[in-house]
Amino acid sequence: MSDASPSLVRKYSGGAGAGPRSGPLILRPDVLIFLITLAALTIGATFLAEAGLISTAFVKTLGKTLCLCLAALAMDLVWGYTGILSLGHFAFFGIGGYAIGMWLMWDRTEGIVLDTLSRGPLPPTALEIEEQIGTQIFGVVGSSEVPWLWAFAGSLPIQLAFAVLVPGLIALIFGWLAFRSRVAGVYLSILTQAGTLALSLWLFQNDSGLRGNNGLSGLQNIPGLTDVPQSTLSLWFLWASAAALALAYLAAAWMVSGRFGSVLRGIRDDEARVRFLGYEVEHYKLAIFTVTAMACGIAGALYYPQAGIVNPAEIAPIASIYLAVWVAIGGRGRLYGAVIGAAVVSLASSWFTGGGAPDIELGFYTIQWTDWWLVLLGLSFVLVTLFAPKGLGGLVDLYTDRRAAKRNADLGPDAGALRKEEDA
Amino acid sequence: MSALLEVSGVSKTFDGFKAIDNLSFSINEPELRAIIGPNGAGKTTFMDLVTGKTRPDSGTIRYGELSRDLTRMSEARIARAGIGRKFQKPTVFEAQSVEENLTMALAAPRAPLTVLWRRNRARDRAAELAERVGLAAHLGRQAGTLSHGQKQWLEIGMLLAQDPRLLLVDEPAAGMTSAERERTTEMLVEAAKSHAVVVIEHDMEFVRRLDCRVSVLHEGRLLAEGTLDHVCADPRVIDVYLGRPEEEAAHA
Amino acid sequence: MTLIRLIAALCLLALPVTAQEGAVQTVLQTHAADIAEPSRRTIQPVLDDLAASGLPAMPAFLEAWADRGVVQRDADGLFFFGERDGDVYILRSIEDGSDAGTVGRRDADQLRPNAGVRRLIATALVQFQLNDPDPDRRRAALDALTRNPTPDLLAPLRASIEGEEDRAIRQRKEALDRLITIRFGEDRTTRLAAIFWMADQVSLEARAALNAVLTTDTFVGQPPEDANVARSLQVGTDITPDQALALLAAEGILPEDVTRADRDAALVAAIDGDSVAGVPVSSLNTEDARWAAYATLAENGAARPRPPVNAVEILLAANPIVEIYDEPDAAITAAAAEALTQVEARVARAQAADLGLDALSLASIYFLAAIGLAITFGVMGVINMAHGEFIMIGAYTGYVVQLFVPDYTLSLIIALPLAFCTAAAAGVALERLVIRHLAHRPLETLLATFGISVALQQIFKNIFGTQAVPLTSPDWLAGAWTLNDVVGISYIRIAIFILALLFLALLVYILRRTRLGLEVRAVTQNPGMAASLGIDPDRVGMATFALGSGIAGVAGVAIGLFAQVTSEMGASYIVQSFMTVVVGGVGSVFGTLAGAGLIGGLQKGIEWLNPSNTLAAQTYMILFIILFIQFRPRGIVAQKGRFAQ
Repeated sequence: MSDASPSLVRKYSGGAGAGPRSGPLILRPDVLIFLITLAALTIGATFLAEAGLISTAFVKTLGKTLCLCLAALAMDLVWGYTGILSLGHFAFFGIGGYAIGMWLMWDRTEGIVLDTLSRGPLPPTALEIEEQIGTQIFGVVGSSEVPWLWAFAGSLPIQLAFAVLVPGLIALIFGWLAFRSRVAGVYLSILTQAGTLALSLWLFQNDSGLRGNNGLSGLQNIPGLTDVPQSTLSLWFLWASAAALALAYLAAAWMVSGRFGSVLRGIRDDEARVRFLGYEVEHYKLAIFTVTAMACGIAGALYYPQAGIVNPAEIAPIASIYLAVWVAIGGRGRLYGAVIGAAVVSLASSWFTGGGAPDIELGFYTIQWTDWWLVLLGLSFVLVTLFAPKGLGGLVDLYTDRRAAKRNADLGPDAGALRKEEDA
Repeated sequence: MSALLEVSGVSKTFDGFKAIDNLSFSINEPELRAIIGPNGAGKTTFMDLVTGKTRPDSGTIRYGELSRDLTRMSEARIARAGIGRKFQKPTVFEAQSVEENLTMALAAPRAPLTVLWRRNRARDRAAELAERVGLAAHLGRQAGTLSHGQKQWLEIGMLLAQDPRLLLVDEPAAGMTSAERERTTEMLVEAAKSHAVVVIEHDMEFVRRLDCRVSVLHEGRLLAEGTLDHVCADPRVIDVYLGRPEEEAAHA
Repeated sequence: MTLIRLIAALCLLALPVTAQEGAVQTVLQTHAADIAEPSRRTIQPVLDDLAASGLPAMPAFLEAWADRGVVQRDADGLFFFGERDGDVYILRSIEDGSDAGTVGRRDADQLRPNAGVRRLIATALVQFQLNDPDPDRRRAALDALTRNPTPDLLAPLRASIEGEEDRAIRQRKEALDRLITIRFGEDRTTRLAAIFWMADQVSLEARAALNAVLTTDTFVGQPPEDANVARSLQVGTDITPDQALALLAAEGILPEDVTRADRDAALVAAIDGDSVAGVPVSSLNTEDARWAAYATLAENGAARPRPPVNAVEILLAANPIVEIYDEPDAAITAAAAEALTQVEARVARAQAADLGLDALSLASIYFLAAIGLAITFGVMGVINMAHGEFIMIGAYTGYVVQLFVPDYTLSLIIALPLAFCTAAAAGVALERLVIRHLAHRPLETLLATFGISVALQQIFKNIFGTQAVPLTSPDWLAGAWTLNDVVGISYIRIAIFILALLFLALLVYILRRTRLGLEVRAVTQNPGMAASLGIDPDRVGMATFALGSGIAGVAGVAIGLFAQVTSEMGASYIVQSFMTVVVGGVGSVFGTLAGAGLIGGLQKGIEWLNPSNTLAAQTYMILFIILFIQFRPRGIVAQKGRFAQ
């Protein structure tokens, strides 16, 4: 390798500040632009909705998309930055949804049951209320017993905590087992996928205590807010989702800056070298795996009240792979890339599958996008991987490259390499 | 003065191939030591064993005043205990800047939470190190764009940044110009005034310039130990090795 | 009794026989009254007599009688087969079915035996059927007898054994003889002998027969002196307190407990303004408060009092709950229990063998599905997420072949190599177009091949529809090989097992004995060194991909023969295939074999422990594998060497 040309050197040394180390976090250009865009979108959507120009369903789609962006952000941290291709992060998203869904269902059912029972001649007892709720919720799986999982379903704070802590705990235990035995690369991917499959299969059973394949439904009705119309609720959730995404973006930007971020990217590029520098790679991996799992839990807890229903199919391994697909299409290793990927692909997906895209007449055959969208997605994903590994985020580089030096967004060697090149 | 590192009776077999065979070795602090030997003599495996990358089949590796057993410690703990390693092929984080590379290596707490919360930039220390290894002008540059020699320097800088007690340096001069070699020699000799330094090298000229005790490895065993002249006079060493230094030096 | 009948028969023979009065009619006329107005209590001797006559035309009569197809002419009391036709019965002779004219509806009576009598007639018929010249009818009779064994058929059954010529039927008759003897044998000795014989069997009937001897009744209270007590039930261990309570209540020994619904009904009925039993209604919002109020009501006599808390213990002490054998002879029940234990031990062993066969067959499927993946994973270090779709391509190839070649055997012979070629071509295309360009980026390869997988699935769904398409196996593969009532395996699964063995042998041959194998092993163990020795890794990569994908295609045909062919079928095998490869150890044929064996065995084993739930079995299996990886991160057959670290 020859020496770099002097002019290049000058550019680099001059551009040192362009890295993630200049000034307060919030004033960094990517963070600032992101926050402003997000705020503009949220406020704009609110005005349009108030003016009746966009439907409540569309506001919900926007809100849900922001939650997916949050999950993608977490995926980017764990995969794009740290190199752990987890094929199970959407399971954490689902768990968050289940945790909040349990409270939503329980509380709403409790209200209905109390209403019915209070019309009886005797004031209801706690046992009667529980039995009635059990019959209402679990009748669909042929049971009236309240499973132990639902012990705290009546308490919003506890279920909210569960939405974060259960994914965290599962990630902690799973990650501890996996990282401790140095399972990495594709092995880890497969293991996370298997774990996700196990979870979804378990949830599919009727005796899992979470209503089997019926899942939890009616989540769009928020107890205590029954008088608030869905059009208003959808805006509240949009704002909550936007706030969560903004906070998560700031937190993620803070994490990936400085030495911590350096170590994460170092683990992605050369895990062994980081070890020889004295960093306990496993602890870092475990930390990032757990924290991102919790973030996914939060995203799920915000998503499913807008979606209205959560069922085991949501947790199937394929969902987690899609999460990785979004990040890859958006551009991994950069936070806005994940957000762009999730937003573009999930919105495009609902446009195509929702019948929004016009059919294409080929004379002998009509391409209906509801049938062919997945083919398009699958193939475009292959093309992105092959020809544009930086994803849509790479387009940003085209712009910034012209202005300044190339950003240090190189993907580096793939951390998942099964066989390292021989040292000799 | 007791030894800083005491390797005794260590063996390691890969698939029936004895990479290290009942090897004993020790080094004091401060000391400069060169390890030479033909290809496949077990030099790199020796480093792997000391740094915890490979676990020995038998034998002990003791380190420091407390005589800690390195075979029971993780790579990261060994590194934190004060053993730094420079790889044969320059191994730096190519996607990150020189400054980031150096900052990561700087001696500082390494627990994730501490790293996350305490953000003392330590830019001065990084800059000072870059100065020492001649990369002051390239602090913001991405390491992947450095020349081979510069990468070697960066890695040496990272080794110094760790502030280890024992430096394991694998072929530091490979791919360097003669001026750069000279600086490398100076730096290693300087470091050996206060640290224990083990240099693995093929290049006999370079070893001669280091002017230190030499250990000769052959087929995983310690063949001879002493000054370069002393080992060069050893008939066994001449048998297995010294037929080749001229040729080695020529293509290095 | 027999003597009297004999005399009666002799008398009958002496009677003049008229033209239309054949042998059957003669016998029938002896019992004319009983036959015309049969009752369950009186008909048995008559039936015995009819059966004893041994007349060949008797079964036809008995059948018609039971079917209400016999009429008695009022004029002379003779019996005919009679079919109602408007106002007349069309008569046919009872001897040979020949036409016998008609009779007015009012001039004859249709015989209408009630249900009880019909059952007895059917039993009598069995005796005839047991000796029927048609083996199918004999088998049908045996089936009927097995379902509903009665003591009175023992003698005719035994009598029929002697003349039986069909060996299989004779064996069945002998077995059935013993089954019936166990329950209804004349004396203890013969019954015990039959029981001991039964201890060597595994058949379902044997178990049913022994269980039939061991049926019990639950009895509450002090058992009678002569009762053959099976065991006395302990509350808490043998039955739950609730069950004990219910039993006591059913015997009327315990006044029924007051349920919460009873209590609430009583409380509601006693509401007086704002209060019940002196407490305000609004305070009844806990269970305790309601019970307290109910207690007050009970004290005032306004409600049934609750039984005392320890009522159950007191009553149980006085009224033990025991199980009493229906069979009075303790020696018989003891022997039967002993024999049943032996039978069940044997059945358990047979079930284990059956489970082993199941596991073996599942393992063969996993092996076929995973071996291609193992080869590509081992040689190229890449995960091919589209591997499952190659399985699907193979299955659809088989389906398309069957569209054009209607002969199932021939189509199978064509489909297997064609599926190999189609899938191999797809594999090579994938390798050349995608995977090669992502060398040393296994995670990206994983995702890119996932994209291919999604696209392929959807394309096949668009072409072939979402419904499963049939892939029919030839008739000679349709049956099952049955060793006994417990152990059996379908021929398709045997064929898959053989197919797996073939591919195992083929792969071992290719890897050990051919140039390609040498190169593949070189690339697997040390790609850098292999390349420097002049082995073209691209060519090896392509060859392995062709081989691995081709085997997946063959596996697809095999799987399609017994499972559904859908565009999603590959996806359902992919995770198991990964597990197989990871557990077995990457890049080793025998590792994959071991992995398939372990996973197949494990899945069947867990299903056996928890038979109601395949989903749970899979969950537990995956959890096990995650733990397994902890202890053997490199799989069962770990690749050795410095570079595998």
